[in-house]
Amino acid sequence: MIKMKKGKKYFFRSTANQRIQHVILATCVIVLVLTGMPLKFHDAAWAPYLYSLFGGIKVAPIVHKTFGCILISLFIYHLIYLARNIYVGQISPLRKKKEFSAGKLIKLLATQPFMPNGKDLKDVVQLFKYLFFLTDRKPQGDEFTWKNKFDYWAPFWGVPVLGLSGLIMWNKEFATRFLPGEIINFALIAHSDEALLAALFLFIWHWYNVHFKTSVFPMGTVFMTGYLSEKLMVEDHYEYYVNVMKQAGLEHEILPPHGSPGREPAQERADDNSQTHESMGGRRPA
Amino acid sequence: MRGYKHFQFVAGMAIVVLMVGLFNSGKARAADVGNCLLCHKYPGLSRIGENGKFRLFYVNESVFMNSVHAKVKCEGCHTDIKKIPHDPAKKVDCLIECHIIEPSSEQKFSHQEVATFLSKSVHAKVDKYQRPKKYAEDMPYCLDCHDNPLYRPLSFYKRVRPGISEMALGRCRVCHKKDEFIFRFYNHVTTRLHPIRNPKNIAEMCGRCHDDPKIVARHKLDSKAVYSYGETFHGKAASYLDERIPDCLDCHVNRGRSVHQMLSYKDPMSITYKTNKAAICRNIECHPNATPKLANYKVHMEFDAEHSPKEYYFKLFFISLTGGTLLPLMGIMFLDLFRRLFPNITIRITRRK
Repeated sequence: MIKMKKGKKYFFRSTANQRIQHVILATCVIVLVLTGMPLKFHDAAWAPYLYSLFGGIKVAPIVHKTFGCILISLFIYHLIYLARNIYVGQISPLRKKKEFSAGKLIKLLATQPFMPNGKDLKDVVQLFKYLFFLTDRKPQGDEFTWKNKFDYWAPFWGVPVLGLSGLIMWNKEFATRFLPGEIINFALIAHSDEALLAALFLFIWHWYNVHFKTSVFPMGTVFMTGYLSEKLMVEDHYEYYVNVMKQAGLEHEILPPHGSPGREPAQERADDNSQTHESMGGRRPA
Repeated sequence: MRGYKHFQFVAGMAIVVLMVGLFNSGKARAADVGNCLLCHKYPGLSRIGENGKFRLFYVNESVFMNSVHAKVKCEGCHTDIKKIPHDPAKKVDCLIECHIIEPSSEQKFSHQEVATFLSKSVHAKVDKYQRPKKYAEDMPYCLDCHDNPLYRPLSFYKRVRPGISEMALGRCRVCHKKDEFIFRFYNHVTTRLHPIRNPKNIAEMCGRCHDDPKIVARHKLDSKAVYSYGETFHGKAASYLDERIPDCLDCHVNRGRSVHQMLSYKDPMSITYKTNKAAICRNIECHPNATPKLANYKVHMEFDAEHSPKEYYFKLFFISLTGGTLLPLMGIMFLDLFRRLFPNITIRITRRK
């Protein structure tokens, strides 16, 4: 769980498989936005230039559909990946022990690491207290904070809405065999408006939290390395950080929570940025 | 002295005319037998009209010679001009018989048939009882839709591409000896095998009236038709100059009819009539496998609660979702940025005992 590099600790966040899924998702979203927005905002001055980069009206729609298909395939793969992991890791052992039941399945699903819970609500309340200067303690996030969960569930809503509406518009002749013609009007509204929401959400909110906030700027590297620096673990996932450090037998090295008197913030940021750009190859103490 | 200068000017002009006569191509001389270009070739030939509008009288010869009216002599349309210099010319009547012979009937050519078509169309100035329509002045006249279009020849020899096929011309020359005739005939035919204007131009032309709020209100039209077309994929693709995409005329004109025979969507004979419009989408060049349901797609949808309540509230949901999601998150973002400037400051609330 913890990797050492030049005396600094880095905490495991995601597997290579998950990182590849994320890179495919990010690439698809960026290409889909770049090939879709010039059509949504076709009257804008920048639109023809951007569209012509992707081959204009004759090629860009083909690029858009291709990456749309990749994204839908990725979503289906992720559902299978998720189901398989839950089945192999949690359901199968219960079945072997003959303890599996519908109630346990619901409980098991509700307690998955990415499911929203009461802790998230407490963290949101704590965050607002912190943002309005009512406390100097940031929320002590778990392995996945409410922001992580928001970022995860947003595509879970967005990809089916965009994928389904896109497929309807693409295959309008087939779709209107079963559905009324007005469905294309609804598909266009859903596709266009949900795409704008997704693009703004990802490029403003998500990128701010993972790349542009002052403690990470100019770029977070966890999406490539799969490991998060100790400083960012303390800042965003303190509760989880403490648990991991205790499990690793490193209680004596646990840093105080964010906002406690310690090193100068500017110095910490400089150290952190220089470390996160280095390759991961250190030893793993636990 | 003044008379000498006048003589100098006339002599100079005569030399210019002579030089033009000597060095101009035979093609230009053939079109301009009245020698109108003697004056109208000058790009600055213009004046302020009686209504205060600037009027340009310059004729670009090379452009005109590639237009569909290149074969028509100037006096063929400007029939009131009998001498040079001439008095202010009257407005051209597009329905007159001009000085060319229509080859199939060997009669003098006229656009009169177009007027007959138009008088029975949705754009007629009179109703079916031949009574003037209300706001008949809003109905289009030839020049409201037409300019003097240029030829757009196509080559089909090995592949379809813009321009003239030299290989095809080689076949023409076997029988036809005059290149001028071959070019004109080739241009005449191939220009008519595809739309002379692209969908964007067509939509803009129709939009001059159909997007005019005053005209839309006066004639109680359902929507700003070209604006709503522009919000569909067809309209957006047209704005990117896609020529394959359907424009207003592709859907609103009955197949095999002239655009001048366009009928109202309320007319049972119209292809846009509710029971006929399935054929629009199912056209072999568009969506041949479509069921009639596809034609129920609302091309001219206005996003308001009165016209399209379901679509309006559906869109409102997404607008609310976008605002409801992003505004709080961006608020948190900006508060976070601000908080990072003062990480150690806290408001301490002390209660009085």
